[in-house]
Amino acid sequence: MLTIKNLNARVEDKQILKGINLKVNAGEVHAIMGPNGSGKSSLASVLAGRDNYEVLEGEVDLDGKDLLEMSPEDRAREGVFMAFQYPIEIPGVSNINFLRTALNEIRAYRKLPQLDAKQFLKLSKERQKLVEFDAKLVNRSLNEGFSGGEKKRNEIFQLAMLEPKLCVLDETDSGLDIDALRIVSNGVNKLRSKDNAFILITHYQRLLEYIVPDFVHVLYDGRIIKSGTKELALELEEKGYDWLKESFREQPV
Amino acid sequence: MTKQITIPLYTELLEGFSHSDENATDDTLQKIRRAGFENFKKSGFPTRRDEDWKYTTISSFLQEQYHINGIAKELTASAELISEAIVPSLDAYQLVLVNGKLQPHNNNFPGFIKIIPISEAVIQDDVRQHFAGNSTVASGHFAALNTALFSNGLFIEISANAAIDKPLHIVHAFTSATNVFIQPRHLFVVHQGAELNVIETIVSENSLAKIFVNSLTEVIVEENASFNHYVLQTAKTGVRLVNQTDVKQKRHSVYSNYTFCMPKADLIRNNLNVALNAEQTETHLYGLYLGEDQQLIDNHSLIHHKFPHCNSNEIYKGVLLDKATGVFNGKVFVNPEAQKTNAFQQNNNLLLSNNATINTKPQLEIFADDVKCSHGATVGQLSKEAMFYLQSRGIGEEAARALLVNAFAFDVTEKIKIPELEQYINHLIALHIPGNKN
Amino acid sequence: METNDQLIQDITTQEYEYGFITDIEMDRAPNGLNEDTIRYISEKKNEPEWMLKWRMKGYEAFLRQDMPTWQNFTLPPMDFQGISYYAAPRTKKKYESLDEVDPELLATFEKLGIPLNEQKVLSGVAVDAVFDSISVATTYKGKLKEMGIIFCSFGEAVQEYPDLVKKYLGSVVPHSDNIFASLNTAVFSDGSFVYIPKGVRCPMELSTYFRINAENTGQFERTLIIADEGSYVSYLEGCTAPMRDENQLHAAVVELIALEGAEIKYSTVQNWYPGDKEGRGGIYNFVTKRGVCRGANSKISWTQVETGSSITWKYPAVILQGDNSTGEFYSIAVTKNKQVADTGTKMHHIGKNTRSRIISKGISAGHSNNSYRGLVQVGAKADNARNFTQCDSLLLGAECSANTFPYIETRNNTAMVEHEATTSKIGEDQIFYLNQRGIDSEKAVALIVNGYVKEVLNQLPMEFAVEAQKLLSITLEGSVG
Repeated sequence: MLTIKNLNARVEDKQILKGINLKVNAGEVHAIMGPNGSGKSSLASVLAGRDNYEVLEGEVDLDGKDLLEMSPEDRAREGVFMAFQYPIEIPGVSNINFLRTALNEIRAYRKLPQLDAKQFLKLSKERQKLVEFDAKLVNRSLNEGFSGGEKKRNEIFQLAMLEPKLCVLDETDSGLDIDALRIVSNGVNKLRSKDNAFILITHYQRLLEYIVPDFVHVLYDGRIIKSGTKELALELEEKGYDWLKESFREQPV
Repeated sequence: MTKQITIPLYTELLEGFSHSDENATDDTLQKIRRAGFENFKKSGFPTRRDEDWKYTTISSFLQEQYHINGIAKELTASAELISEAIVPSLDAYQLVLVNGKLQPHNNNFPGFIKIIPISEAVIQDDVRQHFAGNSTVASGHFAALNTALFSNGLFIEISANAAIDKPLHIVHAFTSATNVFIQPRHLFVVHQGAELNVIETIVSENSLAKIFVNSLTEVIVEENASFNHYVLQTAKTGVRLVNQTDVKQKRHSVYSNYTFCMPKADLIRNNLNVALNAEQTETHLYGLYLGEDQQLIDNHSLIHHKFPHCNSNEIYKGVLLDKATGVFNGKVFVNPEAQKTNAFQQNNNLLLSNNATINTKPQLEIFADDVKCSHGATVGQLSKEAMFYLQSRGIGEEAARALLVNAFAFDVTEKIKIPELEQYINHLIALHIPGNKN
Repeated sequence: METNDQLIQDITTQEYEYGFITDIEMDRAPNGLNEDTIRYISEKKNEPEWMLKWRMKGYEAFLRQDMPTWQNFTLPPMDFQGISYYAAPRTKKKYESLDEVDPELLATFEKLGIPLNEQKVLSGVAVDAVFDSISVATTYKGKLKEMGIIFCSFGEAVQEYPDLVKKYLGSVVPHSDNIFASLNTAVFSDGSFVYIPKGVRCPMELSTYFRINAENTGQFERTLIIADEGSYVSYLEGCTAPMRDENQLHAAVVELIALEGAEIKYSTVQNWYPGDKEGRGGIYNFVTKRGVCRGANSKISWTQVETGSSITWKYPAVILQGDNSTGEFYSIAVTKNKQVADTGTKMHHIGKNTRSRIISKGISAGHSNNSYRGLVQVGAKADNARNFTQCDSLLLGAECSANTFPYIETRNNTAMVEHEATTSKIGEDQIFYLNQRGIDSEKAVALIVNGYVKEVLNQLPMEFAVEAQKLLSITLEGSVG
């Protein structure tokens, strides 16, 4: 589904990504771990098309299409969904109105019929239940006055509504208590299918107890320095990142 | 005053008045007109040296040769034009005025509402006490001129303790094949304990002619009465609108004004003056202005707190595109007697084009100590972060911009108490926003 | 509330402690304003021809202009012919050392807490003392000169550094700027001149202390500060005057020029005689202050604590011409009795990425009238300009007024301008809370007011923050609202 080849990117004058290679197939869950500042969130931002990141080199291919050539909204319409680490508050825009606009724009792009109010409401109710999202929050202004946990759950609710192919969860677990983490994880597990794929960006192994990944990659200094299966996450939990950093430094660049 | 002579209109108005003075039938009314005329002669048209006209050069809209009152009296407006004012699916009583003149109507108004042309009303003694209040005539300039030379307009009165069951929709249609200077005059009296909802919509015909409208409305909100006053200005290119509204509030009354200035008209200048003439009143002024092309939209408001325990609340939001200019001035005066006043005022502006201008001046003048007053003003753009967020969810740039502008206007639009109107205003916003690039 | 009323009463009887008169022999120009007056001043100051010409241009501009009418207080009629435009202590033209200065004068400044004897001087502060029209002494001149810093009286600068003066005089406030600036141009007698060379950080605070003494005179001084590329200077002015029944006019002009990367910090503690409780006497403080951030990355910061004068009427401005330049304005204005303060700032954003910040705290008591009036202007080319304005008013007593007149003019769609203003009194619940913790009402008010003005006080150089705080507590003594 997704192929990233030798991706190099910078923000302002600082190169953040220094040659990322990654292949994600439908039905897979990949976890990307790494210490702070290793480039994890930057990777998510580059995939979603944040404009302060400049791609210097490399390719990102989503089902045969060049993702890097697309506007952020077209990437979303093609099926890329990013759950933000810090979801923004937009006073005055109601959650539900925003979602309906988003969903219908995506459907139009995919040449699917628009959902009328009734259908949309039905879908919304269904998905709220699926991801245990509080109906009261649905009608409020987008993220305005939401707690940290509510914001993250809102991201998962949106994920459920928009049915993307590739879901990039950027530190969705940070700042969540154990109950919220469970709810968020359950939501993701219910939404997993053979047709979609997830990239979980996280600092902690904890999330991976709830959402079991097929592959684990360690990102350090803008490169993936080690890939493995879920056992790698456990090993990292036990030993930390330092042993990897050292072996990385010994390698000739 | 020597400056005024250079405007052809000024001379014409002076002549126009002496002509109408000769034909006057009612002495008392003519005294009021004469007082207005003397005041106008003294003050003339405002210039940029007048603090209240610092940002609006009115003379550039007065250079043309205008026909003054009377010329377009017999005109009727086309059905299409009237239908432009329709608020979809709104059930309302409808009245139509063409160039200020009330048209025949077949509404079955409840008996407690009286609607007659202003000219018939002002000759009645009980009405005259509300007409041409001192502050209005003394303020000079356009208000004085209107008082001297108004021809047509509307008088509406709702009896004590009556409540209107559905809104009264007044369509002000303006149409002319030649340049005209029209001066409508209205008076709304909401008697004790009554409740009135009015929507005023201003529409105009597509035409090359310049139509200068100098309109003045006086509003009396008696004790314990409530008045929701919506003004929707959707006139087209060629129209120059100077619109003064003088409101007097009595004890325990509530007055809410909602002003929506929409694109196209060359000039919109609103003067909204609210005098709080008794204790425990409540006043809400909400405004939204959307400027396009070369438009100049200027909203001046004044809330005068004269008695204790009054609350006022004002929110004006502006969105400026193209080469449009927005002006906002909100005065809040608090007299020494007006202790326990709460006055809140906010003006926010979005500049969505490189060539747009905003001049804003919120203003507090406070002479009492036990008060809570605040104002705020901002000028900014749509948040890039918010745009990106919406785009990352698959919403196109234009749709995202429309959504955010709607959100920006939300503080004002959510206050509209008529859902059909709220929807319609949101629709109008969306209609004007997408085409414009940041 | 009775005790509060009593306390408010007390404040109106608070004496002005700097109201004494120094008895000294004076040289005075005869009353009246005409070309001869201007020649007299120019001659007294031994000025070159170009200075006299410039003064005459100012005089012509003065004659052309009318008194302003836009203010919201009543401007008393001004008799420009009724005052003397030059008064100076009758002594030698130039002092070689402090020993030659009239001991009476030294004693005067000693009494004001401004010792001119370098051994006694506040450490780290160089002082230029101006008595009526004339600079009497400048301390630490020699030490500053070693670093290339020029700090002297204006008259001296005209003689010694004519090229610098010629280049910058009137470049920020033109001779025809406004009627009072034009008057100043015509008749200004002295003032301070500062030049900080490239890359030099002035090691001490520079300070000018102004004292009006003579009767029926006006004070018209002129300050010119030039901070060359990459330099820094912090400058402070203070002022007092004797108590007299008639009003005296103070119409000063201050020009600041910050070149690329330079920073000027200008602080004022203004304590001119405010008049008595009936509003008799007091100084009319009509001052034109303007700085220009001429170079990129330069910064000008105005801080003012205004407690004196019967009418204060001034708007220290910053022209943000250089890209990335910054303008700041921090103000505390306290009015009581029948004082009027109409003050604020103007920030003109011209260059790209320019920033301005305005914090204004007004406190009104008695029958006074306190207004913030400000302009934030963003030009079409000032991309990414940012302004933040916060102006708060505190009312102590029911007979004063607090007004806010902010003008915002924006012609650029990348600008962000934010203005907030509040007006309130000190909450009874706040005072009660402090009472309940054992603090009496007067201290509670002081605490709250101090918290209220802290943001501005923090901007003052340390040595003066304490002075200003003391001044505030004296001015506001007993004013619980």
